[in-house]
Amino acid sequence: MAALTITAALAAHAAIPFARAQEQQSTTGVISAYAITGARIVTVSGANIERGTIVIRDGLISAVGASTVAPADARVIDGAGLTVYPGLIDSNTNLGIPAPAPSPARGGGGGGGAQTPAISSPNSAQPVGLQPEILATDFIRPGGDQLEAARNAGITAALTAPREGVFLGQSALINLAGDTPQEMIVRSPVALHVGFTPLRTGGYPSSLMGVFSALRQMLLDAGRLRDANAIYERTPRGTRRPVQDKSLVALFPVLAREMPVVMYADTEREIIRALDLTHEFNLKTIIAGGLESWKVSDRLRESNVPVLLSLNFPKRTTADVPEADPDPLRVMRQRVEAPKTAGRLATARVRFAFQSGAMTSMSDFLANAEKAIENGLARDEALRAMTIRPAEILGVADRLGTIEVGKIANLTVTRGDIFDKKASITHVFIDGRPVDLKPATEKEKGAAAAASSTAMASGTWTLKVKSEAGTDQTVTMILRQEGERVSGSLQGDYGPAQISGGSIDASGNLRFTARVTIGGQTTEATFTATITGNEMRGTVQTVGSSPASFVGTKPQNSDE
Amino acid sequence: MRKLIAFILSFSLLGTALAQQPGRRAQDEATETLIRNATILTVSHGTLQNSDILIRKGKIAAVGQNLKASQNARVIDASGKYVMPGIIDCHSHTMLDAVNELTYSVTSMARIRDVLNPTDEAVYRALAGGVTTANLLHGSGNPIGGQNTVVKFKFGRPIEEFIFPGAPPGIKFALGENPKRTNFNPPGQGRRYPATRMGVEEVIRDAFVRARDYKAAWDDYRAKSHNNKNLIPPRRDLELEPLVEVLEGKRLVHAHCYRADEILMLINIADEFGFKIRTFQHALEGYKVAKEIARHGAGASIFADFWGYKIEAYDAIPYDAAILTRAGVSVSVNSDSDERMRRLNIDAAKMMRYGDMTEEEALKMITMNPAWQLGIQDRVGSIDVGKDADITIWDAHPLSVYSHVETTMIDGEIFFDRQQDMTRRAEMERERLALEKAEPNRPPEKGGTPPPRPRANISAYSDDDDQWYGGQQER
Repeated sequence: MAALTITAALAAHAAIPFARAQEQQSTTGVISAYAITGARIVTVSGANIERGTIVIRDGLISAVGASTVAPADARVIDGAGLTVYPGLIDSNTNLGIPAPAPSPARGGGGGGGAQTPAISSPNSAQPVGLQPEILATDFIRPGGDQLEAARNAGITAALTAPREGVFLGQSALINLAGDTPQEMIVRSPVALHVGFTPLRTGGYPSSLMGVFSALRQMLLDAGRLRDANAIYERTPRGTRRPVQDKSLVALFPVLAREMPVVMYADTEREIIRALDLTHEFNLKTIIAGGLESWKVSDRLRESNVPVLLSLNFPKRTTADVPEADPDPLRVMRQRVEAPKTAGRLATARVRFAFQSGAMTSMSDFLANAEKAIENGLARDEALRAMTIRPAEILGVADRLGTIEVGKIANLTVTRGDIFDKKASITHVFIDGRPVDLKPATEKEKGAAAAASSTAMASGTWTLKVKSEAGTDQTVTMILRQEGERVSGSLQGDYGPAQISGGSIDASGNLRFTARVTIGGQTTEATFTATITGNEMRGTVQTVGSSPASFVGTKPQNSDE
Repeated sequence: MRKLIAFILSFSLLGTALAQQPGRRAQDEATETLIRNATILTVSHGTLQNSDILIRKGKIAAVGQNLKASQNARVIDASGKYVMPGIIDCHSHTMLDAVNELTYSVTSMARIRDVLNPTDEAVYRALAGGVTTANLLHGSGNPIGGQNTVVKFKFGRPIEEFIFPGAPPGIKFALGENPKRTNFNPPGQGRRYPATRMGVEEVIRDAFVRARDYKAAWDDYRAKSHNNKNLIPPRRDLELEPLVEVLEGKRLVHAHCYRADEILMLINIADEFGFKIRTFQHALEGYKVAKEIARHGAGASIFADFWGYKIEAYDAIPYDAAILTRAGVSVSVNSDSDERMRRLNIDAAKMMRYGDMTEEEALKMITMNPAWQLGIQDRVGSIDVGKDADITIWDAHPLSVYSHVETTMIDGEIFFDRQQDMTRRAEMERERLALEKAEPNRPPEKGGTPPPRPRANISAYSDDDDQWYGGQQER
């Protein structure tokens, strides 16, 4: 079912690139060269050029300098008052990778109830989630809002990896424009990604303990298969042939330190666990997340482990209400320390690159880098952490990350210094072609307008849930709709829960998931409903049980 | 359990602040400590009045009267105070990011060591209750669970410093209703084998048959590989390796159990395969088979007075500890709960009420006996020269409900001090006010999510509380 969904979606997408490609062939013949003249050029590789020209031809930087002259066939952009930077790189994302298909509502019954995996490897001997052979490049889709949002924020390239599993799969470095997946790929595979998230399929490993045991066993098994293959190749006669396993084979380059392993770890103890595993198997590790990495900076430097540091800084999201318990000091300290991390890593000489860390508003990418600068990070280090550092850590410094002749023409152009609050992004070039930018402000205005006219989900809803067993439950749901996004929380018989992945379409079809507590057990539930006026009707589906239907009502004018 | 969190919040977080004081450690290592003029409950050799303890390099250097310390020694005047060894909790699931790997019936490959959370505030609260050492166990969801870890509660220190040096490795087994899934089933899972006590027995026997075969395969390979370099070695199996260690007597078995018949069943399996059970955990019906447990040489780690929360817990009596002790079994009283862990002294005291246990027998149940059960009796459990300076100072007799812990030391270092705790609360309050003003801690200007409410349905008893955590524990 999931495979079908993806195939269908890919087919739908495939039709568009074909049309675009045709259109392009007629245009690329006309403009293959661009020149930005009289601009301030921050090369990152060398000194800044206060007033110079940069020439782009056939997707590459062909000339740059103070006395460079724009060639006659180039489309010239007057760079007066503009600053040209190497195209920004987001060092860890899921851009272009489809989200997991929500579980279709299906009947209950023993044993069922697995979340439908987004992607899986055919004929793998390992369960979904433990398949290191999965390649991001096999699933990337061009186009879409998220790629557009990243480009609007000045980001030209990104590392992208599948979203789920203990082994998430192997990432690719992609340019954020291109009509086909193949055009987007700059380098693949880049690294094996390890998420440490227990499987939610009901199978092993379902706990963090099991995750480490499963990782250990697979790495040991891979080492044994590699050695057994060597013995077998020496003496095939008289040796029983080793059973091949492509998941284990995919780990050979990891064991040989040829492929780095990106391990997702934020807290001090998560990072220490990742480093312990690194040490145990002599892996070439990169930490992704790194919220508390400053607490482990000595060990990170000594083991030469770089950090893909998230700019998605934690902040308080709960409303100011008197009945709320105070936040623990530990949590409040963590929020205050987060913007200081980059500066501390720089001082401790730990290599790091910035990543967006699944932030919801991509404008935070530069805004939070500014906060890191306010909290002790040097400006040029901040710029490097989104240009040459990710390129170095991800093995593409020979083609991306600086403004040098021969490198891929990814450029981010601003009016004003890039870390200035008043700066605006005027041009973005990817693979030597300008990208259509939609100014964030206009887009937000549009979204706000859409929200005000159709914010049918916002407000406090009372849900009456009728389960198959006939038990009635009452749930209070506070929703907030912004455009197509819906956020909020649940209270009542399902326990307190935050909703995630909430969306609503123009016809009032609402969908979200939440981790609810039913009969003492916490489980993932998918809510789907259709809103008509102040009423909604729908179903809630939990793992392993049949869907329960509900009716929700909202008192008039309860909108927040 | 969590209801108290808000109340204890400021109290508990103080520990973090204390632990972060720089230079404290160097000072502690450099100096001697002399505890003067205390009533010392040595547990191993009676009560000493008006006596001193000299601590040097983290060890108890001398116990006696009128001891002399060097000039720069830290001197603690314990006149009118009581001193006893640090309490040892033989069954805890505190400071863990995961408790159960509930998928397989045998999860001996799972390691508690991988999921320690040294920032858990429950550890500081336990220190305030005089606990210095705990046996952190895998949950009771599987006939054969994961590998346990014995820790010292060095709150504020890196994870590595928590690990009890030289403590023998162990493993959790579980019998009865939990592994056969009588009372719960984890979300997303169908029914799992085993579903009966028969099945539990079969799963354990099968695992040891496999472990025996596994050991034989490796022995065979080692013998043959000397003259054949092209032999492919057997697969290393992380599930069976710890069970081979059990067979070889190198790994202690801590078996969760309730009923007399299942206790006898496990003794029979152990005899069949030639290994020993180190402790029967809970053992609510242990009194029915006390002689058999004693003959096997196992200890029993029990609840003081906690029963009736499921069918297999109906036949408990408060005289369990006394009857087992009189039969010659080493008995400890454990908590299995972050909340009970803070008052194990009171649970020990209850044992004097039932079955006429002596004061020293009661104290042994939270010190020397659990130390033996964990194989660390040479290091901790009593106040004797040469042992680790894991010491608690109380303002009244620790078996009294009116007593408080004043100071808790581990390896001669102070990890809880009531006086310091009180004086630093104002400082904590100032920090809180400053943090609340910081931009990321301010509530959103409009909207924002409602505050989380405490979990509505907290399991009434902890033995099964760990079931619900499974892999989803949010700490």
